[in-house]
Amino acid sequence: MASTFPFAAIVGQDEMILAIQVVAIDPSVGGVLVLGDRGTGKSTAVRALADLLPPIQVVKGCPYKCDPNNPAQACAVCSAQAAPSGGKAHKLPTESRAVSVVDLPLGATEDRIVGALDLEKALSQGIKEFSPGLLAQAHRGFLYIDEVNLLDDHLVDLLIDVAASGENLVEREGLSIRHPARFVLVGSGNPEEGELRPQLLDRFGLSVQVRTPQDVALRVEVIKRRDAFDKNPTAYKALWQAESDKLQKRIVKARKLLESVQVSDEMLTLCARLCQQLGTDGLRAELTLLRATRALAAMQGHKTVTPEHLKTIAPLALRHRLRRNPLDDTDSGERVQRCLQDILAA
Amino acid sequence: MPEDMQGLETWNDALTSLQLLQIDPSGFGGIWLRAPFGPVRERWLRHLLAAGLNTVKVPGSVDMERLLGGIDLSLTLQTGSLHMQSGLLQQADQGVVCISMAERFPASLIAPMTQAMDTQSLPPLRMSDGSESAPRTQFGVVALDESMDDEPPIGKSLQERLGLWFDLQALAPSDVPELEFSQLSQGNASDQSLDIRIPAEKLLQARQLLTLIQWSDDQALAVCATALGLGIDSLRTPTLALRVACCHAALNMRSVVSDEDLEFAARRVLAPRATRWPAPAEQLSAPEPETAPESPPETAPDQEPAPDPSPEAAQEPPDQQAQQEPPPADQASQDEPSADSPSAEDLQEMMIASALASLPPNILDSLLTKTGSSQGNSSGRSGQFRSGMQRGRPLPPRPGRPAGHARLHVLATLRAAAPKQRLRSATGQGRVAIRSEDFHVHRYQQNSSSCMILALDASGSAALQRLAEAKGAVELLLQQSYARRDSVCIVAFRGAKAQLLLPMTRSLVRAKRAMTGLPGGGGTPLALALKMACEQSVQLQRQGVTPILVVLSDGRANVTLQGLGGRAQAQADALQWVQQWRQTGHRSLWIDTSVQPDPQVQNLADAMGASYMPMPQVQAQRMATAMDNLRKQSA
Repeated sequence: MASTFPFAAIVGQDEMILAIQVVAIDPSVGGVLVLGDRGTGKSTAVRALADLLPPIQVVKGCPYKCDPNNPAQACAVCSAQAAPSGGKAHKLPTESRAVSVVDLPLGATEDRIVGALDLEKALSQGIKEFSPGLLAQAHRGFLYIDEVNLLDDHLVDLLIDVAASGENLVEREGLSIRHPARFVLVGSGNPEEGELRPQLLDRFGLSVQVRTPQDVALRVEVIKRRDAFDKNPTAYKALWQAESDKLQKRIVKARKLLESVQVSDEMLTLCARLCQQLGTDGLRAELTLLRATRALAAMQGHKTVTPEHLKTIAPLALRHRLRRNPLDDTDSGERVQRCLQDILAA
Repeated sequence: MPEDMQGLETWNDALTSLQLLQIDPSGFGGIWLRAPFGPVRERWLRHLLAAGLNTVKVPGSVDMERLLGGIDLSLTLQTGSLHMQSGLLQQADQGVVCISMAERFPASLIAPMTQAMDTQSLPPLRMSDGSESAPRTQFGVVALDESMDDEPPIGKSLQERLGLWFDLQALAPSDVPELEFSQLSQGNASDQSLDIRIPAEKLLQARQLLTLIQWSDDQALAVCATALGLGIDSLRTPTLALRVACCHAALNMRSVVSDEDLEFAARRVLAPRATRWPAPAEQLSAPEPETAPESPPETAPDQEPAPDPSPEAAQEPPDQQAQQEPPPADQASQDEPSADSPSAEDLQEMMIASALASLPPNILDSLLTKTGSSQGNSSGRSGQFRSGMQRGRPLPPRPGRPAGHARLHVLATLRAAAPKQRLRSATGQGRVAIRSEDFHVHRYQQNSSSCMILALDASGSAALQRLAEAKGAVELLLQQSYARRDSVCIVAFRGAKAQLLLPMTRSLVRAKRAMTGLPGGGGTPLALALKMACEQSVQLQRQGVTPILVVLSDGRANVTLQGLGGRAQAQADALQWVQQWRQTGHRSLWIDTSVQPDPQVQNLADAMGASYMPMPQVQAQRMATAMDNLRKQSA
């Protein structure tokens, strides 16, 4: 695998980096949608994600990277092995693997995403076997879609379904297979080129808007780092290794802390009132808001969630959920911010 | 700068770029060459071939397996054991991928290609076990773009990653000094006149040098500031510009990046991407008169072994017309000199000057009038495979050969082969014998999307009465098309011309913005508007999109096709184009914006085969319902 730009070395784009760290700490937040122009470092940041995450334990040899500690969600093969009918449950051999960040290119075919009959085996040996697709590969990791707003509608349908159920159901070419596919959806795109289907929009937990930094000095810094990396990726990565490790440790620590972060009833009321005031659809907004603030608190090492955390997260979590006139182009983030201030002041 | 010199400079730079490619094929992404088929392009391509680069040509019809590598189907079937083939992109490692007709290249192929350029490894076609790493490859891309002015160019994501942009459309054969008539007829008899290929030892030296060259902070600052000044938001661009500059320095055997290198980068990387006129006095440093582009830098002639312009070049004016004095000179020289001038700022001025000097004058005009930073909205959708065998809802498989875009339907193939196994068992050793007649391919059904072309009458007669109302109605239509995931395209007409207010887009925010800014007044060039709508519909159809036309007008045409006054002729022209639309066979809706329903308009609508709706009775909401019904008919 070609080495990726170190996450720690990304300058500017604080909001995007924050959002990505939050979902890395708590994948149940949902996912991140990054909206902005080309050349703002969206892809770089997402591809560097793998840096942030410690390796995971998987059942050895399992193509779906099943979690040995969670047999309820394991694939058919693993659950059969773990608890053979009539036999005694036993531990499966495990191995550690890096978290996968899977690129889903715009032009991908359905076969490629869902998985299809293994052509190789079918042709050479006449065996009907399933060859897993990108969704399987992204299990317990991240699925990155560049230009998600240009994705074909029927692919969007696929993703919406799988992202909601956490399970990929394949009924095609004479195959009937289900396997777990829980991943964090990360999408990027330029809103000028098209809009996202509301259903898909809803699947993203957080949404950030990135712009190229307009400060020349910052731009120069970006260029310099990029150039240094391009000239010698391994050396540059080594240079940032300490920082990367630090980041990784912080995330691991935050994950442990996550369980014990307290959310007071007042905070919950605050979240609910905010969502109600803004008129967001459904309860998903509250849930996301809650989880994301908790993750942020954990990241900063706090044991309780404070209004400060809410202030940081609210625009990210609610921006894309406001019911708005499709022709209205004001920044929804500001609306969220304003509303929150009103509520806090009251 | 004299016009013919600019042509020559472009050509010389184009040749220089080939040498840069030899030194570093993958470093700066590649070259976007916009030129029609013709002697100029042929000449350049011949030089490319002669450059001794590992060049892999990729046709637009290439399939994913061939591009990225995959199972070699025929060999696998033949031998019964798995055979892989390496893809074209892998074959192009350390070389160049040359895409012909790149503007028709489908987005589904551009996406993996740009991914490969970014990650320098091939996206795996099938799921790997995690153990084997993806094959690595580094390549540059030469995209040959033959699109006309009004057609969408190559996909934006590819555009962005290609460092050097050349537009040779305006280059006449007489601009190219080596292209004389005698040579053309003799073919490549006298190719020795110019050798683009860098000798091996010099190439090695240059490559070694390239690894050592490092730009200074001031230079980076200058490039960034220039890019910002020209309205280039992407941070990829300055990176590419600096790499081009380094490469150019290596070509000239310099160990440091000099001003000349930066000028080249500014001219060929930054200038073509400019979306904005650099604000001379605002956030940028004020340019000084003595370095102002009064006399643009003469760099091209002496930096490489280019022959002198032939006498023909001087005589024949190239077809690049509209010769205006580039405005930067007066603008810049009016500014006061800055008090102190650190070197970074000097550099930046020099680069801006260089960038501006290379822009053709007519482009400058359009930049000055167009303030927005988004010009042309096509996201490279041209040539997208629409009706087809690749995606969509599956249909029953059908016998056919798995070539091009058709994918083999394995199960159906095996099923077709199964009954004949006994007959064929003479050859098979325990494996399935499959003949080519068994092959079945996938088929998918795909609904093509539709695009609403709005022809909006903003003329005086309409403006007086109900332009605002019409705008409100359009907004409702837009909201509906948003719900339907359709795209829109707006043609506005007033005065002597029809204007494509907004090319096809799904972004309704932009549509609304474009519309609210629309002024009213002037004559009614109905024929021109219909003509433009017809042209748009042809283009849309080429992209696999079904057009629907909505005309909002009072039908009182009084401007002819030539843009002149004259009611009778104007009406005749309008009628002619109305019939033209009918011939396209696409649906249309005419919303009459006159005060009273007008029989004349109704006639036009009938001739067009359009549904007719007079506006007086329509509430905006009803109009939207009508539109919906129309869609249902066409679906």
